[in-house]
Amino acid sequence: MRFSITKNRIITIISIIFLLLCWKIISVFYHSEFILPSPESTFLAIIKLLTTKNFIFIVGATISRGIIGFIFSFILGVLLGIFAGINTSFHSFLKPILVVIRSTPVISLILLALIWFKVDMVPVFIAFLTMFPFICTNVIDGIRNVDRDLIEMSRIYKIGQTRIVKEVYLPAITPFIFSGASSAMGIGWRAIIIGEVLSQPQFGIGTLMQTAQTYLLVNEVIAWTFIAVVISYIFEIAIRKIEHIVVIWK
Amino acid sequence: MSLKINNLYKSFQDHTIFNDFSIEIPENTISCILGPSGCGKTTLLNMMSNMIVPDSGIFEGFNEKIISYIFQEPRLLPWKTVRENIAFILDKNTIEEPEKVIDKYLQLVELEDFANYYPAKLSGGMKQRVAIARAFAYPSNIILMDEPLKTLDFKLKQNLMKSFRSIWQFDKRTVVFVTHDVDEALLFGNDIFVFSKAPVQIIEKFNIITSSSDRLLESTEMVDLKKKILKIMH
Repeated sequence: MRFSITKNRIITIISIIFLLLCWKIISVFYHSEFILPSPESTFLAIIKLLTTKNFIFIVGATISRGIIGFIFSFILGVLLGIFAGINTSFHSFLKPILVVIRSTPVISLILLALIWFKVDMVPVFIAFLTMFPFICTNVIDGIRNVDRDLIEMSRIYKIGQTRIVKEVYLPAITPFIFSGASSAMGIGWRAIIIGEVLSQPQFGIGTLMQTAQTYLLVNEVIAWTFIAVVISYIFEIAIRKIEHIVVIWK
Repeated sequence: MSLKINNLYKSFQDHTIFNDFSIEIPENTISCILGPSGCGKTTLLNMMSNMIVPDSGIFEGFNEKIISYIFQEPRLLPWKTVRENIAFILDKNTIEEPEKVIDKYLQLVELEDFANYYPAKLSGGMKQRVAIARAFAYPSNIILMDEPLKTLDFKLKQNLMKSFRSIWQFDKRTVVFVTHDVDEALLFGNDIFVFSKAPVQIIEKFNIITSSSDRLLESTEMVDLKKKILKIMH
């Protein structure tokens, strides 16, 4: 086992090196900072961004939009999901709404949100709408996957409905909540940044990306992209770590 | 004292399971119900425990009775430890010192060292022993058992029957044990009811006087009885 873990890690590293190498070769081939800057100059751009005095505000703004959107979609997704999972009529009511939200192109949502809301609210609204269906659908699936035998057992031993929800349904759907949260976060960050690019709030990664693009600072666009990837990755890891702490019974 | 079910009717769609069926189950003994798979044994248990409503029928002696149930599968909550699984079904308002009750029954099924384990870490037989401890820890008058040994191998079956019997010696509740395995019924039951295919009728009722701990499947009494039962079952 130990051997295969280190082996896989080496393969991962080789894959990253391969990616960087391709990047380097293509940048040498085009030889233009305006088309594809070299990995080194992008790296320097990242360092430069990290030391800008507003960096914390910019990244902080994007992250807090993500977290606010996530919290709203999490609370609403879990509550409505549990209700829809238990009550089939409510599920029939909610299903078309979820389908419409999920299949609407993000860009349509943004264009409408730009008309309806203040600039700062747009990315949060977008984040909410993209993340909510993921969490809600996962919770519904979770509830429907709860072992009916365990519910029957609880009923025979005369356990009340509140305790059944709290001690049987909730723990049973926890893994589903986490996998929903994880895919929601993955898609959420992308949506927030698109929202920022188009709505141009004062601070935000998307705002700065758009500015860099206007001035043809391609290395800076890639540098911001890299930072966005790192943020998304950190949250992904954090969700997995929390899941590991919460779901101890497996 | 006995539990009585009279004039029971139950059908699912066009399939009649019980058609004017009656049975009398003596209290504080172990009654085995033996019958072909799918004849309606589980349905009968589920009606006794109020999980299924009969089309009609009179249940006598079931009012005020508290029921615990040992299922085919252990049905433990995976997110609760062995101890928490038993605590889950104990009503903290009516039971004094639930922790002591839990300890007592875990000791009887020899699982006191595993109290803080999650079910995923236990073997199939151990899980079923937790289910037995749970059924006895619950302050019930009647224990319904629906083929609880079905998924276990021969040696584990023997062990589990031993655990069950040793608890029952101290605590003689009314047990209704459903099975399709003649040997289990012979080793376990004070009374053995042999059921027909649906619509269910009791083909015959046997009573075994020998105490269940003294029974040997090889003894002439048991061999003869087994032959008789097998003959009427086929």
